[in-house]
Amino acid sequence: MVKQKPSARALLTLENGTFSFGDALIFKGVNLTVSKGETLCLLGPNGCGKTTLIDCILGIHKLNHGRILLNDHPVSKLSAKKIAQMIAYVPQKHNRHFSFSVMEVLLMGRAPYTSFYSSPDDADIQRAESILDALGMSHLRDRDYTRLSGGETQLVMIMRALIQETPVIVMDEPTAHLDFKHELIVLEAIVRLVRERHLTLVMATHFPNHAFYFENAGIPVKVAFMDQQAVHLKGTPFQALTEENLESFYAVKTKVISHALEGKRSLKHIIPIQTLDKQK
Amino acid sequence: MNPRGFYFLILVSPLVLGFFSIFLGRYPVSSSDIFTLFMSFFTGQEINATHFSVIFYVRLPRVLLGALVGGSLAVSGAAFQGLFRNPLVSSGMLGVSSGAGFGAALALILFRDFFYVYPFSFGFGLAAVFLCFFIGRITASTQAITLVLGGVIVGSIFSALISFLKYVADPYDELPAIVFWLMGSLSRAEYSQILTAGIPMVLGATGLFIIRWRLNVLAMGDKQAHSLGINVNLNRIFIIVCATLATAGAVCVSGVIGWVGLVVPHMGRMMIGNNNKDLIPATFCIGATFLVLVDDISRVISSSEMPLGILTSLIGGPFFIYLLKKTKGKEW
Repeated sequence: MVKQKPSARALLTLENGTFSFGDALIFKGVNLTVSKGETLCLLGPNGCGKTTLIDCILGIHKLNHGRILLNDHPVSKLSAKKIAQMIAYVPQKHNRHFSFSVMEVLLMGRAPYTSFYSSPDDADIQRAESILDALGMSHLRDRDYTRLSGGETQLVMIMRALIQETPVIVMDEPTAHLDFKHELIVLEAIVRLVRERHLTLVMATHFPNHAFYFENAGIPVKVAFMDQQAVHLKGTPFQALTEENLESFYAVKTKVISHALEGKRSLKHIIPIQTLDKQK
Repeated sequence: MNPRGFYFLILVSPLVLGFFSIFLGRYPVSSSDIFTLFMSFFTGQEINATHFSVIFYVRLPRVLLGALVGGSLAVSGAAFQGLFRNPLVSSGMLGVSSGAGFGAALALILFRDFFYVYPFSFGFGLAAVFLCFFIGRITASTQAITLVLGGVIVGSIFSALISFLKYVADPYDELPAIVFWLMGSLSRAEYSQILTAGIPMVLGATGLFIIRWRLNVLAMGDKQAHSLGINVNLNRIFIIVCATLATAGAVCVSGVIGWVGLVVPHMGRMMIGNNNKDLIPATFCIGATFLVLVDDISRVISSSEMPLGILTSLIGGPFFIYLLKKTKGKEW
């Protein structure tokens, strides 16, 4: 018997996915596959339906046609609890209503394993503490999470997703509204976690360079570009994010540069040059 | 003081205050008389029948009812604030208080008898929330914002209906009864009420106590709560049913006592923090203590018994400002 390579096993599959809000079609005929240990960067302009696609994967909306398979189970047949034991979600910048402590927010990650009449126990607190420790964030433990900086909040959300102990993590623009350094801190944390814990990651982002960042860091990454209700191109960043493709999808003239490092590695990066009129 | 000690103090405060409240009142019963009464349970000694009925049939049921009503209103308010992610929401959010007020006014006009006030106000309180839910259903999902909007609309419809009933009521007889009922009072406390209205209050408050930790998760927003494995609609309905039972039970025996369901949860937030695991029990106890204290003052300051709705704001307001000053409102 040939042992299947773990990277070849599809963990999350979207088959011919179609979704509309009433009459408004959001996307149709979307096919995507994410294998174990792989990172999918979902690119696309504002309003292209990335967030709706993520909501469908999380089971919040149901597809009109097609299906989403999570570990070979259709998501539409799974309870919220079962889904939450397999997919964790890192939200965009969100409204923070009540000043919970960081520890209290992290413990919410244990909700999928906690029955409705109980609350997280000491073992859960230890889990949270060990993850705080692993990311060097122990000093945040008792801080008020509504008073954290944007970057710290995002790291707390990522830690909460880790405490959920799911094979898949879905992130919706985790670096939105972050400054230059904090964007990098969050990306570094993501790369480290994907590498150390063999996580499968689906990440919506506005920046094609994020895909190159992951590729540069040597983690298996795939790009999908979403626009006008469909997913248009797929492949590794090197294959998909060419100057021609970027010009046709973003209507931006770019230069993809490559900076050689020691050994065989090289860093790739997209330099935007100017926008083009899409009507032309 | 360390936080656990302070928390414990809050939890025992209703018991301590309730015990001392038995000593307070217009009818003179000295402390030694009361101790003699308590001792008589063990010694079988002859007792003063008047003292016995003042303590056990007037003061004790009133303290028990006050504690239950105060706790139920406060805990429902805290739950609604978390559920709707809005600190300005109170226990009457979904129209339960206005509905109950209308039911009571209707019963007073139709039957001129307090006996019918309880089922009518309880029934209309539930009906108001049901109506809100129906309005919330008009849009695709039971979204928090449409429910809150529905609550505002249903509340104002019932307020208008109450005004209409006041307008048509007999001004010498029915109108004062309606007005006094709406201002809230515990003066008609009896064991039979504690038993009947106590059932929904205890059921509702217990349900909220059981699900309290999940309120934290729900307070993060529907999408995050869902992605954390919570069936948002089902949990929301459970919390609304519990809070409605508790509030309707409280309002139907005590009238509309404002302030407790809005501000007592915030007192809890300032003293204990926002973690519902501790906040829910603490809020129940603070609400219970607060209402028993207010009722004590109402009983002592005048023989005509000032309505509670007036006193809760007059006493709670300055205390709230003091807390705000002391904690600098850091829990928002």
